[in-house]
Amino acid sequence: MKRRPLRVVLLTAVGWLVALVFLAPYLQMFLTSLKPERELNKSPGAYLPDHWQWNNYVDVWKHAPIWTNMRVSLVVAGVATVVTLVCAMPAAYYSARNRFRGRGAFLLLILVTQMFAPTSLVVGIFREMVALNLTDTLLALILVNAAFNLPFCVWILHGYFSSIPKELEEAAFLDGAGRVGALFRVTLPISVPGVVTAVVYTFISAWNEFIVALTVTSSPNRQPLTVAIPSFITQYQEHWQYLFATSLIAIVPVVILFVFIERYLIGGLTAGSVK
Amino acid sequence: MQHVAVKRGAGHPPAPRPSLLGRIGRALVPLLWLGPSIVLIAVVVLWPVIEMVRTSLLKFTSSGTSLGFHGTGDFTDLFAESDLVPVLLRTLVWVVGIVIVTMVLSLALGQLLNARFPGRRAVRWAIIVPWAASVLMTALIWRWMLDNYSGLINRVLLDLHVIDKPVNWLAHPHQAMVWMMAVAVFVSLPFTSFVILAGLQTIPADVYEAARVDGAGPLRTYFGITLPLLRPAVLIASIINVINVFNSFPIIWAMTGGGPAHATDTTTTYMYKLAFNDQHIGESGAMAVVNFLLVLVMVLVYLRAARWREEVR
Amino acid sequence: MKRHLTGAIAAGLTVALGVSGCGKGSSSGGDDSDGKTIKFVAAIYDDNTKPFWDALIKDFEAKNSGYKVNLEMVDWTQMDAKVKTYVQTKQVPDILNYNSFSDFARDGLLYKASEVVSPGTLSDFTPTFVEQAKYNGEQYTLPFISSARLMFYNKDLFKKAGIADPPKTWADIKTDAQKVKKAGAIGYGLPLGPEEAQAEFFSWAMNDNGGWVDASGKWAINQPANVDTLNFLKDLNKSGLTQPNPESTDRKTVFNQFAQGKVGMAIGGPFTKAGFITPANPNLNFGVTSLPVKNASSQPNTLGVMDVLDAFKKNGGKNKEAVRKFLDFFYQKENVSRFLSKEGFLPTTKSAGDALSSDPYMKQFVDALPTSKFAPTSNPAWSAVAGAVKQSLGTSVADKDPKKVLDDIQQTAQKAG
Repeated sequence: MKRRPLRVVLLTAVGWLVALVFLAPYLQMFLTSLKPERELNKSPGAYLPDHWQWNNYVDVWKHAPIWTNMRVSLVVAGVATVVTLVCAMPAAYYSARNRFRGRGAFLLLILVTQMFAPTSLVVGIFREMVALNLTDTLLALILVNAAFNLPFCVWILHGYFSSIPKELEEAAFLDGAGRVGALFRVTLPISVPGVVTAVVYTFISAWNEFIVALTVTSSPNRQPLTVAIPSFITQYQEHWQYLFATSLIAIVPVVILFVFIERYLIGGLTAGSVK
Repeated sequence: MQHVAVKRGAGHPPAPRPSLLGRIGRALVPLLWLGPSIVLIAVVVLWPVIEMVRTSLLKFTSSGTSLGFHGTGDFTDLFAESDLVPVLLRTLVWVVGIVIVTMVLSLALGQLLNARFPGRRAVRWAIIVPWAASVLMTALIWRWMLDNYSGLINRVLLDLHVIDKPVNWLAHPHQAMVWMMAVAVFVSLPFTSFVILAGLQTIPADVYEAARVDGAGPLRTYFGITLPLLRPAVLIASIINVINVFNSFPIIWAMTGGGPAHATDTTTTYMYKLAFNDQHIGESGAMAVVNFLLVLVMVLVYLRAARWREEVR
Repeated sequence: MKRHLTGAIAAGLTVALGVSGCGKGSSSGGDDSDGKTIKFVAAIYDDNTKPFWDALIKDFEAKNSGYKVNLEMVDWTQMDAKVKTYVQTKQVPDILNYNSFSDFARDGLLYKASEVVSPGTLSDFTPTFVEQAKYNGEQYTLPFISSARLMFYNKDLFKKAGIADPPKTWADIKTDAQKVKKAGAIGYGLPLGPEEAQAEFFSWAMNDNGGWVDASGKWAINQPANVDTLNFLKDLNKSGLTQPNPESTDRKTVFNQFAQGKVGMAIGGPFTKAGFITPANPNLNFGVTSLPVKNASSQPNTLGVMDVLDAFKKNGGKNKEAVRKFLDFFYQKENVSRFLSKEGFLPTTKSAGDALSSDPYMKQFVDALPTSKFAPTSNPAWSAVAGAVKQSLGTSVADKDPKKVLDDIQQTAQKAG
């Protein structure tokens, strides 16, 4: 009992230090976003703005269609997540519960697909979207993000479904719930953490995707934030203050989202650890 | 869609042996469940992959016009590039270094986040932030902080008298690589440490209870019980990290652009620059193919070492 | 919690379908079979570029009913990748605002200039620029804007360092840089990073009788004069007279520091004042002089730069009429002058020429244009050479051997044709 308080003090100190390290860059982002443009290139750099330019957060909306970019990002990430889930859940469930011919091949396909990065395929993706007449549409971005995140979701859900004892479902089935009923009433509720993990992973990587969006979209009102943000630095001009203001505007809602689902996340992330 | 049609088609002809039909039917059931996934992957992923392979076999002019089949010419050109070997070696250092450091730090962070102390939830939220911010934004703020003239890092180090004149961090290939790897670790930590944390939470408390009764010290408990039980979590986290780090583009792109020349390129940025800066489109296609084979080999070697088959059965 | 989630997803889906639905109609134009809709990819020069084109297109569409121009703005930092993707997938725009044309012309992708502008517009281009727009003796592209480079110097720093006159020769640059350095600033700002290394290098090399090609037009990138130029620049760097790491410095870094009064000299263009100095430090006391020469007896040359409008063949020539209408519309005197004065560039047409000479700052650049030398943009291998130069030239003033670096680029050039 005696060493307990010391241990807690130590843990708290380390914990808060770690938090500070993780937040420091974003604090700097915030401070930079409040500098007037002419203070940006002062050398050596200043810790705080000389003039606190809160107006940057008003002016930035005039420089880029941020609402639209944000809506595009949200829609692409949101719908891609739904599409991924709709495709991944049946596949993961079936391959976790049944042995069938081609199961190994399917799981291998999933693992191999996971290794392709959109970066190396941009031109091919663009050509494909041309053929499908989908260039400069959100649907193109949705499909690409859904497809490239599908493997991880199948994988993690497969692991999660496998870890749920078959007997649980059998019991519900015998109680007269029916196969599908058993699935919905027993298996799915238990799998919520796994599903949340798949959702978060897909959402985040779609939210982060940059190269495909840059290549496939051409009108500003169909470009996500990741494309809009670096456009504050062009060859001749650098509006770092706006770049960082926009970044923060984009980060905050996602962090809030995380705060709400953090609990589920921790349960779900073990899912891939197939037993 | 397709599988439904196939199934119905199989149903029409008069069946001499229902057992055969039944077997076909049973063989098609998986398609119902797996179909959407397979279609999505085939259309959206495999199509560009085929394009990629095709590109690597064609000859292109500098404008991007195709001049027809080029055989293995693009690969010969690629292997003749004097930058290729350094880029490959650098990629290996990049992947191995980042993944190992990330895993070690994440194991520690996982423990920290699993321990009880006031403000733990807030600390968890703080660690999530780099994951919520897109990698590109994080890379840009680091580039800004590392700026030679007005960067915060130089300012702090100057004020602490660690350095006596500003250091142009991102201009020197070695320093730049170290910083970029640090940033890559920084953005990989949230996901990885949460996987570890989740793994820790699946370990039942009575296992520790038993160890305590046996009189095992904290170190022995950790290496004897915790780490082995974390194996699945470590396995999945490291595979995902190997793939993501290998394919990582925005960090290098935003911070050094792979320069000066190709001194900080990994295969992914090199491939991009081959096509769009050096105007060798076919060679870039060849690099993409090589790139894929590399990550394939890396993951297979890792899985073999970790005996993944046993895990999945 | 769950109900909220379902609601959110449903809302998301609705929005998505809505957005992608209305997206289709107006998207990726230029393929319309009536030939009245064209796609124009324009480069972003600064914050004024997009408003200019938006207004011009609106005006054009109002005056030519039925015609439509779909505008895509692309930043220069992403332009090469976009253009490559478009050409490779045969999705070229009808009109492209770019800095090269000859490899497109070689590959048969472009209209001749005479096919897409009226004779009146065609004869309005300044002959110097028409020469730069030719491939195999035929004009294939339309000179859009031009620019020239001169030496900027900080008068206050010069005074503080005890320098009376602006630098004229390379030797002056070195001694002045040493004095400025003693006065506590960076002597010469040398941007040899991947952004525009070829321009900075050529600005020096041409004043040592060096350059990209020899008298017969063959690649001569590793000629002794060029090696000599790089050795001089390397010496500046190694003597600590430049900013640190020229090999990874882009122009904007140099000019941001110049605007802060921390750099004694740097080569800049017409856009330097409006783009960098006025926003950061409008009171900066600076002067502009000709580019320095190696031998005091030779005449200074200036670097000429020209951006162009490329008109691509599409849909079997059905777009030609619309392209011609739009280009003739843009090349009216008022439109061109408005663009030039907003963006701070120099004219490529005779009619817009006088508009800028009234501004004493701009006049210096206009006056320098006749002595300008251009990169060999009419050689189809140029884009490959420029790519290699941007990537690797800077390393020659750091740790690589200048001769070796130039030899490698020469090889790339010969391989490219």
